[in-house]
Amino acid sequence: MATQEYRVLLVENDTKLLQDMATVIQETVGFQLAAAYTDSHDALNQGGIFRPTLILLDVDHIDTYAIIEDFREKFPNTQLLALGKKWSLNLFRSVIKSGAGGFLVAPFSSMELVNSVRAFEEEEIHSKVIAFFSPKGKSGKTTFIANLAMALAEESQGRVGIIDADLQFGDMAMFFNLNPQSTIVEAVRDIVFLSPTTLNSYFIPVSEKVSVLCSTRIPEMSEQVMPDDFTALVQMARGIFQYILIDLPPAFRPITNAACETADMTAVMTMISGGFEIEHMKKCLDIFKTWDDYAERVRVFFSRVEPCTEDMRQRLEGELGNPVYDIIPNEYLLLSTAANNGRIVADIRPDSAFAKSVAAIAKKMYVADRKG
Amino acid sequence: MAEISRNGIIITVFSTASAVGKTLIAVNLTAELAHQGFRACVVDLDLQFGDIANFLQLRPTQTIYDAQLAIDKNPEQFDPLTYTTLYKYEDTSFSVIAAPNTLEQSYNVSAKQVGKVMGELRREYDYVIVDTMATFTELNLQIMDISTIITAVAIVDFIPTIKNMKMGYEAMKRLGYASNKIRFILNRSNAKTNIEISDVERLLDARFYHVLPNDFKAAVESIQSAVPIVLDQAKRYSPLAAGLIELTDKYTNRTGKARSTNTPVTQQNSGGLFGLFRK
Repeated sequence: MATQEYRVLLVENDTKLLQDMATVIQETVGFQLAAAYTDSHDALNQGGIFRPTLILLDVDHIDTYAIIEDFREKFPNTQLLALGKKWSLNLFRSVIKSGAGGFLVAPFSSMELVNSVRAFEEEEIHSKVIAFFSPKGKSGKTTFIANLAMALAEESQGRVGIIDADLQFGDMAMFFNLNPQSTIVEAVRDIVFLSPTTLNSYFIPVSEKVSVLCSTRIPEMSEQVMPDDFTALVQMARGIFQYILIDLPPAFRPITNAACETADMTAVMTMISGGFEIEHMKKCLDIFKTWDDYAERVRVFFSRVEPCTEDMRQRLEGELGNPVYDIIPNEYLLLSTAANNGRIVADIRPDSAFAKSVAAIAKKMYVADRKG
Repeated sequence: MAEISRNGIIITVFSTASAVGKTLIAVNLTAELAHQGFRACVVDLDLQFGDIANFLQLRPTQTIYDAQLAIDKNPEQFDPLTYTTLYKYEDTSFSVIAAPNTLEQSYNVSAKQVGKVMGELRREYDYVIVDTMATFTELNLQIMDISTIITAVAIVDFIPTIKNMKMGYEAMKRLGYASNKIRFILNRSNAKTNIEISDVERLLDARFYHVLPNDFKAAVESIQSAVPIVLDQAKRYSPLAAGLIELTDKYTNRTGKARSTNTPVTQQNSGGLFGLFRK
C-alpha cells in the first residue's frame, strides 16, 4: 500500500454507478475522493485543480481511447486505471495501448480497488506464458511443472500461476492435495465478468507466490471449456502473474492448440524409455515448425533420461535433429512417492538430482527472460 | 464383400492414461487370435501418436485416413482390405489398419466415417481389435458404442493414475456403458511402486478382471524385435505371454474354441471394470 493516500478523480457516465463507487472510495482506507464527474470532458478540463494522484476513467464510450490519451497528456504523472462494466481482451489491450495503467471492472469493491492499485505499484509485470505439451503420458510433465513453478517464483521473486488444462484427467489438484471450490470450468464460465483482480480468487495458493487453477472435477466438464474463453483466461492471468505455466493433455486437442498459440513458449516434453519417443517428438515438432517463430517459441525437453549427462543431451539432439533445451533425470520412485502423498514439491529433496535440474532450468529461463 | 457375412467381435483397448501398455495388449490379442485361426485385424485409432506400425515395423501405404476418405467418397465401392497392411510371422498373419502418417491427417479423420469403416471390417474379420487414444473423444466414444468389449487397461504406479482410472470408469458408467461390456485389465507393467494391488482394490472397492504379470524386459525386447510376444517361440511361454494368451482365451470362449474353462464373457452378467464397485 502506498504511504500516501490516493486522491481519486472518478469519472463515470452512469450517475448511480458514480455514486456507488464514490462511496466505496470514501470507505476505503488509503483513498480519498478528490472529485467525481459524469462527463469526461468536464473532468479533463476542471479536474486538475484537485491535484488527483489516481484517475479512474469510465471507458464504456465511443472516443474512449482519444480521451485516455487526452488525460495522459494533461496528467502525465498521475496513475490512470480504465473503468469498464465488462473486461474483454480487446478492450483491455486498447486501453493499455492508449496509456491506461490497468483495468478495473465497475462497480468495484474496496478490496478490488486496493488490489488493482497494488498490482500497479509493483514493478511492471512482464508476464511469460509457457505451455507444456507431451505427446504421451508418464513423462513427468505435471511433476516438472509443479516444481518449476516453485523454482521460478524463487528465482524471479514474482508470482507464478499454474493452469491445469489437462481438462479430462488433470492431476495438479492431486499433486498439491487440493480440493478446490473453483476450477478452470468456473473461471471460463465467469470470464466475461472478471478482471485480473477477481480472476485471482479462482486460483488456489499453494505457496506464498505460487497459485494453481485446477482442472475439471469430472471428464465430461471438459466440454464446457471453450478454446476462446480459455485464451481470454490466460491473457487475463497475465495481469496477475509473472509466469504462467499451462499443463496440457497428451494430445493435440483444441485446448492444446489454443494454449500453444497464446503462449510465449511451448515446452514439448517426452520421456526416454525405449519406445518411439524420438519419433513422437519429431511428429510434434513438424506441427510447430509451421510457425514462423518456431525456433524462438518451441523448446524440447526429454525427461527420465539415464544417464542425464551433457553427452546424452547432445546424442538426443543428434537423433532428433533439433536443439534439445534440457534433459531431466529419472527419479521415478522419489517423484511418484511425493505425488502419492500430495506433497509433490515439499517431499522432493532440494539436493536430489531432479530438484537440482529443475532449479537450473528455472535459472536458465529467468536469465534469458531478463535479457529478452 | 465377403460371401459369408460375418459379424465380427470388436474389442476396444482403452485407458484413461497413456503409456500403460494398450498397444502391446492390442497387438498381442490380435496376434494370438490369428494364431488360434481367427481372421483378425487391429486398427490403430490412437490417431496422433499411434505406434502399431512402429511396433510391427510396417511401412503402410494406406492408413485409416485413406480408408475413411474412401468410404465417404464412394461407399458402394469400398473394400476395407485395400486399406489393411498384412503382418506375417512364421505361419501366423493378421491385418493392420495403421494410424495416419501425419498429425495433419489425424486431425482430418471423421469419427462418423471411421464408424462406417468399422462396420465393413466386422463383416470381414472374426475379431477387430482397436487401439485408442487415452482420452474421451467423439471417435473413442463412437467406437466404444459399437464395441462388443471394452478392455480398459490400468496400471498401478501412483495415486493420480488410480484416480484417473476411477474417474474414467465413472464417466463411462454415466455415459451408459453396461458394466459387463467393460473389462478391466491390470497391467503390472514396469511400475516400480510401493502401492499394493490389494490396496488399490480396497481403495476402489473393486477387483480386476485379468492381471498381466510384470515382464518389462520381454515387452521391450518384443518392441525391438517387432515380433508380438505370443508369436515368439522364445517368449511364448513367458509369464507375460501366458497372461496375454489367457486373456485372449477369456475373450474367445463364446466360440467354443477356447482352451480354458473361464466363464464366457457374453454369459457373465456381472464383472466389469472394477468388478462392480461393490456396495
